[in-house]
This record gives sequence, C-alpha cells and structure tokens, in this order.
Amino acid sequence: MPGATLAPTVPIHTADKAKRTQYSARVSALILLAPALGLCAVFIFIPAILAILGSFFTFGITSRAWEPAGLSNYAKVIADPIFWTALRNNLIIVIGSIVFQVGIGTILAAILDRGLPRASTVFRTVIFAPMVVSAVAVALIWQVILDPNVGALNAIIKAVSLTPPQLGWLGDPTISIWVVLMIACWQYTGFMMVLILAGLQGIPKELYEAASLDGARGLTAFRHITLPSIRNVLLVAVLITTIGGFKVFDLIYATTQGGPANATQVLGTYIYLQAFNLGNMGYANAISVVLLCIAVMLGWLQLKSSRRA
Amino acid sequence: MKRYSTKGRTGPLTRHVIGAAFGLAVALGGGVPQFANAQEDVTIRMWALTNPNYPEFIAQAAEAFKLTHPNVTIDFQETPNEAYKTAIQVALVGSAPPDVFFNWAGEDSNRLVRDGLVLDLTGLANEPGQFGTTLAQSWLDTFSVDGLIYGAPTDAVTKYFYYDNAFFTDNSLSVPATFEELLGLCTAIRAIDPAIVPIPLGNSERWKMNHYITLLNERVMGNDALRADYSLTAPDDQLFTNPGYVTAWGKVLEMQTAGCFQDAPNATSPEVSRTLFSSQISPMIFCGSWCMSIFDGEGYTDYSLFRFPPIEGGASDGNSNMVVPQGLQVAAATQHPKEAVEWISFLTSPEQGAKFAEMRGALPSDPSLLSALPNATEQFKWVAADMASLAVQYNVIDVEVEASVANAYLDAGVEILNGTMTPEQAMESIRTAALAAKAAMQ
Repeated sequence: MPGATLAPTVPIHTADKAKRTQYSARVSALILLAPALGLCAVFIFIPAILAILGSFFTFGITSRAWEPAGLSNYAKVIADPIFWTALRNNLIIVIGSIVFQVGIGTILAAILDRGLPRASTVFRTVIFAPMVVSAVAVALIWQVILDPNVGALNAIIKAVSLTPPQLGWLGDPTISIWVVLMIACWQYTGFMMVLILAGLQGIPKELYEAASLDGARGLTAFRHITLPSIRNVLLVAVLITTIGGFKVFDLIYATTQGGPANATQVLGTYIYLQAFNLGNMGYANAISVVLLCIAVMLGWLQLKSSRRA
Repeated sequence: MKRYSTKGRTGPLTRHVIGAAFGLAVALGGGVPQFANAQEDVTIRMWALTNPNYPEFIAQAAEAFKLTHPNVTIDFQETPNEAYKTAIQVALVGSAPPDVFFNWAGEDSNRLVRDGLVLDLTGLANEPGQFGTTLAQSWLDTFSVDGLIYGAPTDAVTKYFYYDNAFFTDNSLSVPATFEELLGLCTAIRAIDPAIVPIPLGNSERWKMNHYITLLNERVMGNDALRADYSLTAPDDQLFTNPGYVTAWGKVLEMQTAGCFQDAPNATSPEVSRTLFSSQISPMIFCGSWCMSIFDGEGYTDYSLFRFPPIEGGASDGNSNMVVPQGLQVAAATQHPKEAVEWISFLTSPEQGAKFAEMRGALPSDPSLLSALPNATEQFKWVAADMASLAVQYNVIDVEVEASVANAYLDAGVEILNGTMTPEQAMESIRTAALAAKAAMQ
C-alpha cells in the first residue's frame, strides 16, 4: 500500500512549506517595515510620549530640573484666554480655508475641466505656482505688498480714492487674522484646484452625454453627476485643509509672529511662544497634547471616511 | 560577496601600510616622543547673531589668532536674531553645543548660569593676559554672578535719535533739549508737510516700543525707582504700582498725538522704518547704535545723533541711557575651555576692539585704542564719547525682567499704539504678570 503511506505525508509536507513561507513572509515584512517603524518611533512616538509626560511637569527649555505639576498645566490651558484665542483662530483658518480654498478650487477646476478656449495650461500653472513657494517666502512677499508705508496694495487703494485700514492690514487686530487667511488661500487654492481637477477628469464623459439626453445640463449635471462623482476627492480636500489649518505655524510666524497682541496667535505659534520665548516647556507640552488630540481625532476621521469611500 | 574578498585582501595590506607609515614617521620625526609633544588640533565652534560685517571681523581675527595658536581652528556660524534665541537654547541642552556663543548680559545670561549651561570662567579669565585682567571691572560685572565671571563682554549697544542734518538745516529745526521740545519738533515737522512722518516706528516685532518705554520709565521715575520692580523684589502690594509707569505710557500717547509716529507702527517692520530714514523720507529715527553701520553701508552719512531728552518734572536729568552689554560665553560642555577663553580674550584685546569698532561701528569693551582709529566716522566718535560720559546706564526691559513680564510689556506696547488698551490697563496686565512670575519664583 504505497499509496496509503504516501497519502498523509504529502499534506504534512505542504503544511510545513506553507508555515515556512508564512514565517518567511512575516520576517520579510518586519525587516521591510523596520526602517519606517524606527523613524516613526524616533520622530513621532517617542516625542509624543515625552510631550505627554512633560505636560505633567514644570520645566524650562534650559532647566534640567523637572518639577511635578500634576494637572495644573491643563488647568492653566483651560483658564488661559490666549489659548482660546489661538484655538478660535485655528478654527477661523480651518473653516475659512474650506470655504475659500476648496470652494474656489472647485470652481476653478470646473472652469478648467470644461476647457478654456486657450491657455488653460498657463492658467493652471499660474494658479498652482504659489503652492511651490515656501510659506516663509510667501509671508515676506505679502509683508512687502501689505506694508502700510511702501506697500503696493495701499498705493492702489489710495489711487482709487479709498482709505486703507489705518492700523495696517497686519497691524489691525480686528482684520489681521482674515488677512493671514487670505494669504493662506492665495497659496493653497491652486493645490486644491489641481486635486479636484484630477477628480473631475476621472468622470466618464458618457455620464454627461447620457444625462444630457435626459435633459440634465449645466448646474443640474454638476449637482447630480459632478459632485457625487468627486465626493471622495472633496472629502480628502476638506480633510487635508482641516489638518493643515490646525497645524499652521510657518506662515503665521513669518507674517505676524502671532501679533498684533496675540490677534493672529494660533496653537502652533502659541506653543512656540510658551516653549522658546517664555521658557514654559511643561505648559507648552500641555497645549501640544491638546493639539495632538485634535490631530488624532481628525486623523481617525480621515481614516474612517477613506475606508468608507 | 565581492566586498568580503576585497576586505580580506586589503586587511593585511592596510596593516602593512600603517606599519610602514608609522616607521617612516618615527624615522623622520626622531622617535615616538615627538608625537607626545605635538599639540592636539582643536576646533572651537562659535555661534553668534547675524550682524553686518561680523563674519568678516571674525575671519580676520581667526587668521590673526592662528599665528599664535596654530593648532586652533575657528568654526564660525551666524544666525538671525529671532532664530538665534531659540537655536542657542536648544543647542546648549543638546549633545553638541557650540564652545563659544554670543549672548546678552542680564536675564538671558543669568538664566543659563542658573541652569548650569555656561562655564565659570573666573580661574581661566584671570590668568595673565586673559580678558579678566584686561577689561574694566564695570564691564566684567555685566557677565558676573556672585563675583564669578561667566562671560566676556565684547561690546555694548545703546539707542539715540538720529536726525537728517540737511532737513534740520533747511527747515531751521534744532535738537530738542526736553521731551516737550521733542513733541514740539514732531508738530513742527508735520506743519512743514503733514505727509512726513517725523519718527517712523517699526514695531511689528514688538521690541522697538520696548526701547521707548525703557527710556520713558527711567526719564519719568529715575533708574533707582525701577530696580525693585524689575528684579521682582518689591513687596507684592507695591510691585509695579508706581504711578510713573502709567505716566510713561501716557508719554507714548503724547508722542502719537503730536504726530511723531506713522499711523500703523505695529504693521511696520524695523527694516522699513530704518529705510524710511536712510532714504530721507523721514527726517528722524530712534535707532540703536548698530544702525550707524547700516546707514553708512547704505551710503547715507549726513546725519547726527542726540540722546533721548529728559522730561520736564521727571526724576532723571537725562545724563543716562539704555546700554545693553553683550558678549561671549563658553558652554559648560566644551572640551576646550582653555582655548575658548584664549580666543575670547583675543577678541576682546585692544587691537581687536579697535578692529571691531572699525568694521562693525560698535563700541568695544576695551576702547583704549579707539582714539587712534583712522577711519572712524564723526558719528561713531560722538557716540563713543557720549557713552563714556553717561552717569547712569541701565539695560532694556525685555532683557532685564523675567520673560513673562517682558512679554506683557511687549504686548502692552502693541496695544497702547493700537489704542486697544489704556496706560492703566497696560500696567494692570503687567502687574498681573509680575505677581504671577514672582509667585512662581518663590
């Protein structure tokens, strides 16, 4: 009965081989993941853990003594009016960016998708160009344009017999955050346009042709075909804008440093002020943890919505 | 696989080469003791603020220093103002701090001393020929804590009103002797042409107004009256309660009302305000002594200077000024303390002091050779003489007081200029910050 003895040995051999292959795949995966995990650990996980730990202590950037502070840093966060101003400014930037960047980006993308009579590549390049300029350079350009003494904007406004803001575009606490928001929109709308344009160009033309036969054209087609088709792209655009709005630092720091008198302070610049200018590292860590929680929540939201998509 | 074989072949070869080189070196050098006598190559890493002509000054100094210290190389790095303040703090607590670094005297320096990040230089500095034996005691005191030396003062900066000679002559204007005359001068300039901003103020970075209020506090209350408040040693019920503080802020408003400043000082950068003066759009500016080299570099030299005038009825006679000493400190973690001290002693020598003055247009801590400077401008000579004649010197508020109090002062300056805060409200916020800072210190 050679068959009887051979029959059980074949599956055992196959199972061993499968196990070995599975084990080998796991090892390979771990080896391949190790560099990325190592970098994540060094630059994300360990600093995040240290920030959480540090938020329960009082210490300065150059002081070596960490004094336990319990939850006092978090209590201070809640009672600090500038923290709430900074958070409000972050929300203004987030909501404003969604409305202007994603909104105008969608309109521009739709115009380009329908096809401009000529020079659509030039328009696309010009609108996208600010995106490739660093935020610090953008801030410097706009500081010169908005300068109340020698700036081009005030000169134009005066030339048409209008009056520019007396305290300056970036010096007036009632308008400065909106001015910074406009600068951010100028820089990033082009990116949103390109993102949404890619989504628009993925919609099969047959859909529009079929809709056209059914009498759906123009805004009706945009509402019933275009928007549902790019829903996921829009969702990604909104999430990118939202996360960017909470993370914003460089543009604000280079434009106003959070001023005048904290009017444009956002969480990023306020953390920097507390940590490096005032030496309150523990308190800065506590604000960072709050920002981290917001970022994690938004990240989770992004993950959830992309899975659903 | 090729790597292994290559390694295998070159291993013995390398050993042979090293052996031969060692033998050759011993033969040429006269034996192994020659190695023991050779000086170890040392690199001194130095960090400083970005300033006009400073890299050139350091480059020539490093070359001259090499003549007496052939084994020492100076590795110099400069960083702009705001970035430097952060970078140096991070570097000092990191694993590779610079050996020698720039710092301001006062709280910035004292904090690093308290945190054990700077080296006590008393022993090395007082060795023959080193800076502790050559600089005046008053200068050494600026970087001393409890009698111990923690840094070498290199120079000091101060503030003056600069004015356009031609504009003043053409319009028969004269230098004001009092603060009230300064207000009158602003009014007179506005009467000549309402579009002319008499004294452009670039307060977008907040520190410009802090210089004004430093001077105004002293002019109103006198230097002695400020000490206990600035050091947070005044009793809680008296801390920053002197009505003179409110009066001083009121003087800022008086300057605004007299039309001294432009409409949007908080939206104007210090650079733009300087340019308005150097391009002769504005006839005056309140600027640091470092501005001389900037204006000269831009080719504008037809200006003169005067001190911030005294206030009628104020406690100060005006024979005083804000003087900010700055210098070099040595990181506690340095591996080369001796060479670091020799380097900073060299930089503060009379010869290098004269070169520093010539190249940077700043007053060095050893001014003994300044009179012999062939290329010194008239303005520089005037400033050097004026600083030497001061009866009272004091530091700027944001360097002198605790950081959160300084921040409250900086914010108050912005709000006063914007009209969003009254002088009384400004002092209330500063007093609140001072009380909190004092409580945290105890």
